[in-house]
Amino acid sequence: MNPALIAIVLAIGAGAVVAVSTRDGAAAAIGLAIALVGSALLGDPLPSAAVLGVRVVAALLVATLIRSSMRTGPRQPSPVGWPSEALLATAGAVAGLGIALGLASLAAAGGVPVGQPGIGEPGPGGPVGPGDTVVTTMALITAAGTSLLAIGVAPLLHGRQGPRRAIGLVLVTQAVLLLRIGIAGPAVELEEIARAALLVVVGATGAALARATAAAAHRLDEGEELPDADAVEESPHVLLAR
Amino acid sequence: MTLLVLAAVALGAGLAAILLAGERRTLALAIGLIGSLVVLALALAMPDTESLIIGGVGMISTPVVRAMAVAWSASLAVLGLLEVAVGGRPTVVGPSLVGLAVAGLALATRDPASSMAALAAGGVAGVVVPGLAGWLDGPDMPSRLPTTSRGTLAILGSGLLGLAVIAWGASAAGPLGGGGLLPVDPAAQLSLGLALLAIVAACAIRTGLIPLHVWAARFMEGVSPLAIPAAFAWGSAAFVLVALDWSQVALGPAAAGDAERWLIVIAAMASVVLGGLAAMVHDDIEHVLGYSILQDAGVAVLAFASLDPGVVAAARNWLVASATVKTALAAWASVVRTTYGGHRLDDLGGWARHSPALGVAFAGILVAAIGLPSMALFQARTDLVSSAMPGFGQVVAIIIAAMPAIYLGRIAVAGLAPVSPAVAAGLSGRPRWTGGRAVGWSEGPLTQAIRAIPTELRANRAPLMALGVLALAVMALLTATGGAGG
Repeated sequence: MNPALIAIVLAIGAGAVVAVSTRDGAAAAIGLAIALVGSALLGDPLPSAAVLGVRVVAALLVATLIRSSMRTGPRQPSPVGWPSEALLATAGAVAGLGIALGLASLAAAGGVPVGQPGIGEPGPGGPVGPGDTVVTTMALITAAGTSLLAIGVAPLLHGRQGPRRAIGLVLVTQAVLLLRIGIAGPAVELEEIARAALLVVVGATGAALARATAAAAHRLDEGEELPDADAVEESPHVLLAR
Repeated sequence: MTLLVLAAVALGAGLAAILLAGERRTLALAIGLIGSLVVLALALAMPDTESLIIGGVGMISTPVVRAMAVAWSASLAVLGLLEVAVGGRPTVVGPSLVGLAVAGLALATRDPASSMAALAAGGVAGVVVPGLAGWLDGPDMPSRLPTTSRGTLAILGSGLLGLAVIAWGASAAGPLGGGGLLPVDPAAQLSLGLALLAIVAACAIRTGLIPLHVWAARFMEGVSPLAIPAAFAWGSAAFVLVALDWSQVALGPAAAGDAERWLIVIAAMASVVLGGLAAMVHDDIEHVLGYSILQDAGVAVLAFASLDPGVVAAARNWLVASATVKTALAAWASVVRTTYGGHRLDDLGGWARHSPALGVAFAGILVAAIGLPSMALFQARTDLVSSAMPGFGQVVAIIIAAMPAIYLGRIAVAGLAPVSPAVAAGLSGRPRWTGGRAVGWSEGPLTQAIRAIPTELRANRAPLMALGVLALAVMALLTATGGAGG
């Protein structure tokens, strides 16, 4: 079990919690960036420099796009507070670990050969067998994915339109991308590019919708302004009513 | 590789058109139009089979990829011209070019996970750009923003679900045992069946099958009819084709047991029957368009009930041909709305008498939508329905073929009725010559004629739009006859 990977998983969870629970736009964007860059670095061994570069650039681009949408948007802190979000993240991570270990046992029971990429990969102590509880890299990736899913799904489905929903969208997308790696093993280079493009498109979409929501709210506020008192006195409707 | 060049040109032109659409409408339209023509030329020059290795994955250009690229880019070129004539915010060519690039690459890529991720990313443009434009044009309808948001969630959700199913299929603990030989036991059979149902669910979300059609119906109400084909005809076709290819290779016909087959048939036929009925009773031509696209998707999903190679080939023909036909129908609906201002049958009495070119085009669309027994579209529909429902599928296929005859036939009958006041007040559908004299110029005849071109074009806007629809109708007939080479 690689302690660096565990630290990265903790950083991903912490960043996601900050992103969905803070009322400060800058802090939310930083938290999102930490979660996404951490997801890019989650792997042992690390992918090639080119793939790593694509992942990190995509992560930072998404965080920038979301940050840009927060300048005009309303403040949307978590309705349940950061402690509850942290608990959700922890629960999600534990559930992911359990799922990964269960699937590893299932694969081992099914006679999956040692070293098969994905669920059945061997841990530092040797091949995974039925009853073993070795936490592998893939299990940690799965845990990170379920953690992000647990935090991101609520603002995505139940949150008000705005930057928080955009953050939820990004977190859920990153969660599925992590689960894909955790369940099925490393992706080929072409898929890495497609995944990065998907993440950037999701970030851009979320930011565009958040900005549009802010503009709509601004229009609504302008339309609901009370008329000036002098204007009401001189209004032809009022004069006719007299 | 030609496909890569085609995708690069389409992607570049599409993104440029989207980014410039807000501030520089004319430039955006010009870039989109030129881009679609270049893409068409590249698609025509593309060989039937071409292969390349990129990023560790094989990319193989097949006749289906070529046929889709040719049909889509040709339709797009005409749609671009219609968008110039119809006016408004450019929302058609840009997202369509992006979708075409992504679809071509996704269909050629041999890695289904890459394809699914790319389709999810590319499909969003077809929803977000027209959706936000519809909201900007109608700020008094605040419901359009949530509708766009729901549409985005549906597109992304279907892609992410597809990605999850493909990952599960490739997993060592998944139904395929990490690619090794799988023992044939009830648990493995159940896993295969569940994987099949999950990928069909992803297709149902993406195509808007009943009962997951609400987001699609609401979305179509708020955007230009010209923007609908990119998101719902072509985009859905590419998604279903990728899902079918993966299901056929990774799951195989063994995945479609009795229970799974009936579930798929029931879900698909619900959309076919209810979509067809809805198209028959609605008076709004845009609703007719939407429900007819829904019905086509239901027919395509029947291919998952058997996953037979012959049926999958029929699905390819069906998807490409029906997408071309519905693109022509969408163009017709948009031109009718622009010309006469109305979109309900009660207001469109005598539209074909008023614009004979539109009438001829609609006749072509009607024939292409129903299909004649010798046409690839007709045969594909029969194969898809018969394979899903052996024994009585032939009869059901004929009933399904009769549905377009009814809902499009109503529109045709309205076109032959006496000309209504709304139609009479609309733009003239017959070509006319204003005299060839440009206002304010007194030079020689040739110069006069050249300078009078914009005036003549403006005076003949309606007949020119009708010619565009006619061109699309001809394309629809050709594709319905020849299929996609699947």
